Amino acid sequence: MISSIRQITSMSRATLLSLPRRLAISLSMVGSIMLVVCVLCGFLAMARGFEITLQSAGSPEVAVILGGGTREETNSEIPAEVARTIMAMSEGISVVRDSRGTPLLSNEVIVPVEYRDHPDAAGEMLALRGMDPTGPDIRREVILSSGKYASPGTREIVVGAQLAATYPGFGIGEDVRLGPVVWTVSGHFSAQGSAFESELWGDIDAVRAAFNRVGEVQSLRLRLTEPSAIKQLAMAVDPLAGAQLKVLSEADLYASQSQGTSRLIQLFGWPIALLMAIGATAGALNTMMSSLSDRTAEIATARALGFNRLSAFVATWLEALLLSAVGVGLGLVLSWLTLNGWQTSTLGANNAQMSFRLVVNGDVMATAALVGIAIGAIGGALPAIAAARVPLTVALRARG
Amino acid sequence: MTISEKDIPFIALNGVSKTYRSGSERLPIFAGLDLSIGKGEFIAVMGPSGSGKSTLLNLLAGIDQADSGSIQIGGQRLDQMGEAARSAWRAQHMGIVFQFYNLLPMLTAAENVELPLLLKSISGRVRRERVSKVLDIVGLNGRGRQSPTKMSGGQQQRVGIARAIVADPTLLLCDEPTGDLDRKSADQVLAMLGFLNRELGKTIIMVTHDPEAAAQAGRTLHLDKGVFVEDEQVMA
Ligand SMILES: Nc1ncnc2c1ncn2[C@@H]1O[C@H](COP(=O)(O)OP(=O)(O)OP(=O)(O)O)[C@@H](O)[C@H]1O
Ligand SMILES: [Mg+2]
Repeated sequence: MISSIRQITSMSRATLLSLPRRLAISLSMVGSIMLVVCVLCGFLAMARGFEITLQSAGSPEVAVILGGGTREETNSEIPAEVARTIMAMSEGISVVRDSRGTPLLSNEVIVPVEYRDHPDAAGEMLALRGMDPTGPDIRREVILSSGKYASPGTREIVVGAQLAATYPGFGIGEDVRLGPVVWTVSGHFSAQGSAFESELWGDIDAVRAAFNRVGEVQSLRLRLTEPSAIKQLAMAVDPLAGAQLKVLSEADLYASQSQGTSRLIQLFGWPIALLMAIGATAGALNTMMSSLSDRTAEIATARALGFNRLSAFVATWLEALLLSAVGVGLGLVLSWLTLNGWQTSTLGANNAQMSFRLVVNGDVMATAALVGIAIGAIGGALPAIAAARVPLTVALRARG
Repeated sequence: MTISEKDIPFIALNGVSKTYRSGSERLPIFAGLDLSIGKGEFIAVMGPSGSGKSTLLNLLAGIDQADSGSIQIGGQRLDQMGEAARSAWRAQHMGIVFQFYNLLPMLTAAENVELPLLLKSISGRVRRERVSKVLDIVGLNGRGRQSPTKMSGGQQQRVGIARAIVADPTLLLCDEPTGDLDRKSADQVLAMLGFLNRELGKTIIMVTHDPEAAAQAGRTLHLDKGVFVEDEQVMA
C-alpha cells in the first residue's frame, strides 16, 4: 500500500518533470481547453445575467393580472370595465395602501417605441410603460435618482438607469421623440439593475392618448400585504371569467419570461461549446498520446524495475488532469476578468431592448470547470490505459 | 542420498518455447530450450544478432512470457505468476542493467538509484544511506546530485549498476552492459560485475558480444538458432 503510493508519486513526479520536453504540444492542450472554458463561461454568463436581471425585477409581493389568456404583458388585454371592477374590489383584497390611503394598484400598458438618439443613429426599440401615479410605489426596489416622476396627464417620462447611461439624449429636461410624439425627460430612476432599468415610464393616460390606445389596459399591478394574498386575489377575480384573467406574481411572470430567453441562449450555446469540447478532447488525446510515446522508454524502464501498472496509469492521467486544470484555471480567470459585468443588450420581453450584465458567478464557473476537467479526464484516459500496458520489452531495446 | 544446495539449480528452464508473431508471420526463437544455472554463477551469453539473447533475458526477467515450458527461479514458477506478481517479484529479487543505461533523464543520479527502493517498505533515511553506499561501491560517491545526462557513458552505466544492486537482489540480468562503452569504461564495468559476483555472491547473467567481457564470466553459453551450441566450463 505504502509502496504503491510511493510508486505513484515517484512516477508522477518523473512525468511532470519531463513536461518541459513537450512544452509546445502541452500548451496547445492547455490553450484549447482554455478556449472551451471561455466560450462556455461566455454564454452561461449571458444566460445567467439575463435571468438575474429579469428575476430581480420580479417581486413575490406584487400581483400582476393579465387578460386574454396570455402570460405576457404585450399580448394581454383587460377590458376597461373589468379593470374598473377590480379597482372597485380592492377594498376586500389585502392590498397595501399609501399614506393617503390610496391602494397601491396601477393600470399599465406597455408600448414598444422607436427611438433615435441622434438624427442619423439607427432606430432602437425601447419599452415605454404607461402607469398610474402609484406605479413607482408598487415597485419597492425603484429609486428616483434625479428629477421627478411624470405628472399625470403630461407628456413627461422618467428614464431607467440603463437607458439613461446608454443614450446621452435622455438627459433631464431634454425633449425626445418617441414614435410620433415628443416627450420631455423629467427624471431618472434606478431599480437595482433589474429589467425595469431598461424601460421608460410615463403617465398612462398620456401614453394611451399618444398611441391611440385610449381606455386600454394591459395589466393591473397590485402590491399585496404578503405573497400568500395572491390566492385570495385570484379567487376574487375568478367570477370575471369572461376576460380570461390570469393572476400571477411578478416574480413568476419574469421567471417564466427569463426562462424562455435563457433557454434559447443555452440552446445555441451548448451545442457550440460541446462541439468545441469534442474537438478539444481529440486534441487532448493527441497531446497525451504523444506524451506517452515520449515517455514509453522511461515507463517501460520503471516497470522493468518493478513499478506497477497503476503507477504508470495514474502518472499519465494526472498529467492530463493537470494540463486541463491549468487550462480551466486560465480560462476562468480570463472569463472573469473580461466577461463578468460586461454589459450587453438583447431583445427582451415586450419586444423591446433590455440591457443586462454578464454574470460569471460560482455556478457558471463550476459548470465550465467541470467540462474543462472532463476534457482532460476523457482525453487522457485512453493514453493512461495505454501507458499501463506499455510492452516492457521496449525497455531492453530502447536507446536513451 | 543427500542433495547439496549446489545441486538444486537456482534457475531452471525446461522446454521453453517462444515464437514472435506479427500478423501471419511467425518467427520462432526457442523451441524447447533447457537451461540450468546455479546460485552464484556468472554466466556470459553470446551469440549472433537475432539469436534470442535479449529474448532470453526478457523471459528470465518476467517482462515477456514464454509460449510453453517452465521457468523456475529460486524455487518459484515465474511462468505461472500473473503480471502484478511478476512486477513484485522483479522488485524483490532482480536487478537489470541495460545496454543504453535507461536512466530517467529528469532525475538526478541518486534519484535514479533510489527508484527500486521505493518499491520496498524502507524509510527515507535508510534509503538515502543505501543509495550513498552503492554509489560508493560503483565509485561515484559525491556524484549523486548530478544529472545523468551530464555524465559520460561509463559513469552512466555505473549509475545503472548501482540502481540494479541497490535493493540487494540475488540475480543480476545485464544486456550488453558494455556494448556502448569504450574499452577503458568497459573494463571498469566488467571489473565491477566481477566484484559483485565474487564478493557479494550475486548470480549474474550477462549478454555480450565482447569476448573480453565473456572472459570475466565463469561460464559462457553460445546461443545459436534457438539452442545452446556450446557450454564451456571454465575452471577458475
Ligand atoms: N516483440 C517482438 N516482436 C517480433 N519480433 C521480435 C520481437 N522482439 C524481438 N523480435 C525478433 O526476435 C529475434 C530475436 O531478438 P532478440 O532481441 O532476442 O535478439 P538478440 O540475440 O538480443 O539480438 P542482438 O544481439 O541484436 O541484441 C530478432 O530477429 C528480433 O527481430
Ligand atoms: Mg539483444
